[in-house]
Amino acid sequence: MEEIVRAEGLKKTFTLSKKQQRIERTGETRRVAVNGLSFSAYRGEIYGLLGPNGAGKTTTLRMLSTLIKPDEGDAFLCGHSIVKEPEKVRDVIGFLTSELKLEGFFTPDYLFDFFGAMHGVEKQVLAERKKQLFTRFGIDKFAEVQVKNLSTGMLQKVSLVISIVHDPAVVIFDEPTNGLDVLTAKVVTDFLSELKAMGKSILLSTHIFSLVEKLCDRVGVIIDGKLAAEGTLEEVGKGDLETAFFDLYHAIKGEIV
Amino acid sequence: MKFMALIKKEFHRFFHDPRLIVTMLLPGIIIFLIYTVMGNVIGGSEVETYTFKVYLSGQSAVTQVIETAAESAGHTLEWLPLEDEEEARAAVKSGEATAILAFSENFDGFDGAERGEVKLIYDAMEQASSFFYALSASILEQYGMRFAIVSESLSTDDAIGVEVMTQILPFLLVCFIFSACMSVTLESVAGEKERGTLATILVTSAKRSHIALGKLVPLSCISMLGALSSFLGVALSMPKLMGVSLGFLGGYSVWSYILLLVLILSTVPLVVGAIASVSALSRSVKEATAYTSVLMIFTMVISLVAAFIPAIGDWVVFIPVLNAVVVMQGVLAGGLPVWQSLVGVGLNLAYTALLVFAMTKMLSSEKIIFGK
Repeated sequence: MEEIVRAEGLKKTFTLSKKQQRIERTGETRRVAVNGLSFSAYRGEIYGLLGPNGAGKTTTLRMLSTLIKPDEGDAFLCGHSIVKEPEKVRDVIGFLTSELKLEGFFTPDYLFDFFGAMHGVEKQVLAERKKQLFTRFGIDKFAEVQVKNLSTGMLQKVSLVISIVHDPAVVIFDEPTNGLDVLTAKVVTDFLSELKAMGKSILLSTHIFSLVEKLCDRVGVIIDGKLAAEGTLEEVGKGDLETAFFDLYHAIKGEIV
Repeated sequence: MKFMALIKKEFHRFFHDPRLIVTMLLPGIIIFLIYTVMGNVIGGSEVETYTFKVYLSGQSAVTQVIETAAESAGHTLEWLPLEDEEEARAAVKSGEATAILAFSENFDGFDGAERGEVKLIYDAMEQASSFFYALSASILEQYGMRFAIVSESLSTDDAIGVEVMTQILPFLLVCFIFSACMSVTLESVAGEKERGTLATILVTSAKRSHIALGKLVPLSCISMLGALSSFLGVALSMPKLMGVSLGFLGGYSVWSYILLLVLILSTVPLVVGAIASVSALSRSVKEATAYTSVLMIFTMVISLVAAFIPAIGDWVVFIPVLNAVVVMQGVLAGGLPVWQSLVGVGLNLAYTALLVFAMTKMLSSEKIIFGK
């Protein structure tokens, strides 16, 4: 199998503000969000990062998408270093997260063209891709409606389509079905399977066991910024991913509060 | 391609939103209307009563007529003996005296075969002096052609208006530039950062420097329109407000206008760059507005101070914005401060380049973009 994503000892530490220290009732000024994380993902597979809130999933995906820099370690996407070649990395990835928003004033049609141009996609290729994706997701029906007037489901579809406007080799999705109704969530998960069939490598973070069981070929369990377990669903879950996860969590953290 | 896409996006955002266009152009229209109305009200207000101190030389019964006319209108008239004309002129010019009225010898004795002469020296810059001139001239004219009236103003009607405008216009222009830049830049940079749409652009492979320039270039062009609108509002209404004819604008050479334009062109991107940098550093539009308001007040104060300090010194060309104010004053005062303009423009561009560099760094900083 061809290795498309390789993370090597990623570490990220954040400084806690006085306000954060007060909220969390802690005296510590620095927090290690990701601590020496290493894993690989291969072409044509869906790799899931599973972990509770605050485990370091989003921070890991942000580092892989070059939005933030690791304190230590490096990662390579399609052979490009996130530390040394961030622009090249951004050309081969599509990143979807709820933190990245679309300007409400513009229409899906305009934004697709804009982000296509921002990724350097040729006009003709862009037009064909727009037609194909807009039809696939039913966006053609509201392509000229301002984004601010779209429903959550419509908006997620538009965000999804725009994140892959440049046909990236690696697709990184942070909690892709969060806040979606069951119908839109199914559209998204079906599309992830389609992307996999097209030979794309997909990295997704989630805390939903069923999503991992349904979609992922391999999974990495993150607890406290460290990779607690990694392997195929069978290797990690041993038939019951949820139970295996809580056993693992209990072994590392103690009682579940 | 990516850079052009960024520029087009900013223009599209502005020119397809009627509210933004109205917000940008409205100040100019409102300024024009308010100043014009103020000018009309001031111009049409009731005449005040004055105390005239007039140097008198020679004798004539006309003085009694003038005195009676002035007092019947509620004014007070005091005659001063004219001993030294130069001293008297200086007193009129300084406002200590109202006018000089000098009758030729045996003024009332002329029978029509010969003509006497009356000299009336006043200062058009002073309202009292102008009023006395109008009153005296109208009485003297009733005597027909028995004598010649030689009237002389120590300054022209437009002089005071032009002088005030020369000092005020650059200051106002800087205020309008700042205000125009604020309205678009805060929304475009701090707004996008707050809403999370800036981060979406940062995930593309566009260079951070292109993203910074892709904001600054279109925002500068749009701000220029706003500043121009406000400037036209002022330039067209100030003459009415100050009681000056619009003709004074024609008194400047093409080069003066080119220098003004180049100064404005170099000041706008600098101000946009400063506000964009402050916006990038801020966590919200509200925070950016607060910081930028402080910056604006500071700029306004130094611009206002500069407007009223004569011969402030050439070092001022090194101070951004202030250099534009002082050089614009020089241009409006009829000078052509070419080297100061060139140095000022060059430095403004250099400062702008520094701000673009700083903004590029900020866009690359996760603490600034994602800091809570």
